[in-house]
Amino acid sequence: MRLSILTSTITLAAAFVATSLMADGHLSLAGKRIGVAVVGTQHFWDREAFNGATSTVEKLGGEVVPVDGGRDNQVHADNHDVLLANKVDAVISILGDGAVEPKFEALKNAGIPVFTVDHPSPHGVNNTTSDNYYMGTTIGRYMADAIGGEGKVAVFNAFEGALRICGIRAGLWKYVLQDYPNIEIVQPELAEEFANAPEDARKKTLDLLSQYPEGTLDAIHVGCWDQPAIGVVQALEEAGRSDILVTALDGGPDTLEIMAEDGSPFVANVAQQPNLIGSTSAMNVARHFAGEKLLPQTYVDVYPVNGQAEAKAAYKSLGYGTLD
Amino acid sequence: MTPILDMAGISVTFPGVKALDKAMLTVLPGEVHGLVGENGAGKSTLIKVLAGVYAPDEGVVSLGDEKHISTLTPNLVHTAGVRFIHQELHLVPHFTVAESVFMGQEISGRFGLDKSTMNARTEDFLRETLNADISPRTLIRDLGTAERKLVQISRALIDGRATLVVFDEPTAPLASDEVDRLFAAIGGLKSKGIAMIYVSHYLREITHISDRVTVLRNGKAVKVFNEVSDQITDPMISAMVGREIAEMFPKKENTSNKKLFEARELSGMGFSQVNFDVAAGEVLGIAGLVGSGREELIDTIYGLLPVTSGSMTLKAEAYNPKRPAKAVKAGVALVPRDRRHDGLVLDQPVIDNINLASLEEVSTVLMEKRGVAKNRAEAMANQLDLRPRNVTMIPRLLSGGNQQKVVLGRWLAKGGDLFILDEPTVGVDVGAKVEIYALIRELAAQGSAVIVSSGDPLELLGLSDRIMVLQRGFLAASHDAKDVNVDSLVALTTGGSSGAIE
Amino acid sequence: MIAIQFVRKLLEWVPVAVFALMFIFLGIEAPTLFTPFTIDLMLKQAVPTVVVSLGLAVVIITGGDDVVSGGIDLSIPAAAIIAAAIIADQVTNHGTALPIALAFALLAAITVGALNAFLVVMIRMTPLLATLASSVAVVGITKMITQSKRINVTDPFIVFLRDGTVIGLSAGVVAAGLLTLIYWFLMHQTRWGMQAQATGGGREAADISGISTKRYQAISFLLAAFTGFLASMFVLARGSGSSPGTEENLLLEMVLATFLGAAFSPRRKVTVWGAALGAVLVAMLSVGFKSIGVNVFWTGCIKGALILIVVASAAATTRGRY
Repeated sequence: MRLSILTSTITLAAAFVATSLMADGHLSLAGKRIGVAVVGTQHFWDREAFNGATSTVEKLGGEVVPVDGGRDNQVHADNHDVLLANKVDAVISILGDGAVEPKFEALKNAGIPVFTVDHPSPHGVNNTTSDNYYMGTTIGRYMADAIGGEGKVAVFNAFEGALRICGIRAGLWKYVLQDYPNIEIVQPELAEEFANAPEDARKKTLDLLSQYPEGTLDAIHVGCWDQPAIGVVQALEEAGRSDILVTALDGGPDTLEIMAEDGSPFVANVAQQPNLIGSTSAMNVARHFAGEKLLPQTYVDVYPVNGQAEAKAAYKSLGYGTLD
Repeated sequence: MTPILDMAGISVTFPGVKALDKAMLTVLPGEVHGLVGENGAGKSTLIKVLAGVYAPDEGVVSLGDEKHISTLTPNLVHTAGVRFIHQELHLVPHFTVAESVFMGQEISGRFGLDKSTMNARTEDFLRETLNADISPRTLIRDLGTAERKLVQISRALIDGRATLVVFDEPTAPLASDEVDRLFAAIGGLKSKGIAMIYVSHYLREITHISDRVTVLRNGKAVKVFNEVSDQITDPMISAMVGREIAEMFPKKENTSNKKLFEARELSGMGFSQVNFDVAAGEVLGIAGLVGSGREELIDTIYGLLPVTSGSMTLKAEAYNPKRPAKAVKAGVALVPRDRRHDGLVLDQPVIDNINLASLEEVSTVLMEKRGVAKNRAEAMANQLDLRPRNVTMIPRLLSGGNQQKVVLGRWLAKGGDLFILDEPTVGVDVGAKVEIYALIRELAAQGSAVIVSSGDPLELLGLSDRIMVLQRGFLAASHDAKDVNVDSLVALTTGGSSGAIE
Repeated sequence: MIAIQFVRKLLEWVPVAVFALMFIFLGIEAPTLFTPFTIDLMLKQAVPTVVVSLGLAVVIITGGDDVVSGGIDLSIPAAAIIAAAIIADQVTNHGTALPIALAFALLAAITVGALNAFLVVMIRMTPLLATLASSVAVVGITKMITQSKRINVTDPFIVFLRDGTVIGLSAGVVAAGLLTLIYWFLMHQTRWGMQAQATGGGREAADISGISTKRYQAISFLLAAFTGFLASMFVLARGSGSSPGTEENLLLEMVLATFLGAAFSPRRKVTVWGAALGAVLVAMLSVGFKSIGVNVFWTGCIKGALILIVVASAAATTRGRY
């Protein structure tokens, strides 16, 4: 029952996007040069958001000036200077940490509007993002349910203080857990690496497992994304530990595939629609130039994924193919 | 006239060897003094005593007005104005001439290096003292060898306080026409009143530029020539070699006439248009000084250096190995000159070293047949009279002679058509030499062709059926061994006057 | 022989020609590229790389340019990020005054240099291995300090290095320019520098000339670590704080810049000014390609190929000239 609702919502959403495109048929970026800065193109999420933004800009008749940070936040920040020097008409900036803030400010001061993706900023016109509040609370509930409302949980949480979206997701996850006094978050929290996240998380999980023998740890949660979860699951398999559950956020095809496996320890996720997010941000740029007043945040729907069956369904609905 | 240098009664003993035995050397102010002798005669030891590197067991060195007994230090010698021009150039390829000359003694002004002064002084020194016109801004790597030599000399002498300069084989790397540039420089120094010691194997050069000559043999100064002319070459050679050809060598029994290896108009790095052949069962000796192209020729036959023109044939087939592995496959075996580096795996037991070249015979695809390998190695150790006769020893612990036997043993075990032995007895004691000579003759008797390259004329004469002589990259002579003697062979290699065969 | 010399002469012009053509092309495609604003931007982006490249140049000049047996120091970026992490952690998390934080950072960087000097000069490890190992260790310690988290820095001095100007030029660019001048003077205009060059050019030749080569090599690692310390301030300024993972890109650009600079020096040798020039060129290429909107998936490929052509042609011109 639930599944069919999920499916129909997604179909509806897709239909909504299509109609809004048609309804906004007057929107155009013709003659505009739009800088698209992405922090990296190695990960599915980043790449999809980037592809969504660039293809929509082109569809609307604009010219794309793309820059790629190679998964290095400083290079990503520097790339905004290049866009500034290039005198683009607007900038879509995907992800990035605090290093980009001064760059946004410089762009704003030069009269170039900045549209952010997953990075709320006082210097941006609009931030297009998933409903991070919903993501944070939902994954908190799912995880608490999965471990029966009690136990020890380790969390990979490197970015809570550095990225606002992560602050929301991890903060609300903790907020939900406040109502579960028998759930304890293992201290210190783990810090994953930004680049090579799966391999780094694999090593750190193996270290963690040697500290917490069988039966002393119940779940490992990745606070803001799910690339590290790939390494976490690998480590659990290597160590032959079936007593620990894994939860994470983002729901890209790679992690949905892992969730869909029989007996997967990866039990809950919240899937985003990165391509749609990028695309929506590009639409917002066009709306801005068309004189529309934009709200500071545009939320794009997310899809909670609880367990194997829902993972398979979401995989199909999000257009990643079929899993059997 | 008071000598500028007087070394008297100098003795130096190394473990087991008396390198200098009451040697003496006297150099007068402003003269060019030739110092000659065979390899191992004690020339470099004597020079090192002068440099303060070796302290003599006995003897007195008078330098200028001061007498020193075992108290010379490199600093003291330098302060006294003695400068050494080593055989190696020791220059930095990407430095300019001036930078090289002033290396370690740069001139600095208030605003950093005073490059214009250094350039000007270098140019002046080269022109006025060494009679050479070289721009101080040229890079060393763009200079010829003779010019580099002049830069090296300038570096030693630029401070203007030199009174005695020691040249150690300065012309060894030079081509004949380059030698004249060096002699012009030496003439320049002489006109400034600087005394020189000139160490060289090239007797023609010695007679050309020396005012007096001292001959060393077996650590003794056996003769001093106070008058130098072309006429003294023969007496000089006699003094150098002495007359002690020992009965060290096995009998020669050359029977075959079948040409096994042939080189036609062969040119490579350091030698050109060399023609020769070796027959099965024959031992061909190659003589030549350092820089004569002897080492390069050997390396070329073995595929370590490329052939630039000409051809080689092995067993009537065209042969151009390019790589040593191909040479081995074609049936060529090399016993290298530096066996510690090229010939032995020093930390693998003797058994493995002996079987190294014939691995396929003692191993199946996956496994070595340890038993077969051990039997072979032990049989070989007996045949070689290896001491100690323990095939599990690692070669690092063996003496030089026994190391060489292991290398020879490897090739005896493998067998081969053409053996190349490069300086087979360097660093080997006399007893082991005799055994190695016997082994070499045995290789020939088995039907192999053998090429022996050596700097020891005695060894070549004793071992070879024929001897070819290389001089500055060209084949200077080729004779049956019985037609030459030590004197004429030394004369041939050094370019002395009695090169003619009696 | 004449033909070979002619080819060699031609090859000598390849690096200059390749870059000249490249910039002409970029200039036509992206007219904004050579405006004063963009040039200042390119210089600014090059600053951290320039500073660490000076250090690497010193080590290579003093140790020789054989990649395995010569001098190389892969740990300079690691020294820079540990210094940056210490400064950020102290200033932001512990409220330490900047000068004191800088003193801690300097101590850490110099320790890295001293460790390298000890490993290479005393233990006689290959510089490549020794500095790679110390780099890995230092990056590990840095992660412990920052817990792999980003630390924002808003100290006015660091912000000045990012946004400030001196006589109309960016403060960071002026500072890096001065540093280049100082290192150039030290290495190329003093007796000390000449003897360091002699040490790298031919160890035996230098020994014979009475130069204490070991001391020179040890000091070169300290000078390099010092550039790591200096670079840490520019790294902080550039990123408005310390971000994990910065060392990788810095390492790559440092090595590229230093050897690219050698291709432009008349003697085809690593020089201080060449390293600085190389760093600027690498930054110009990056900015240039981004400006003309090359597909992001291709940029690395094109950059790599260009640099390869330049460095290979330089190697070909010096081959066999010894």
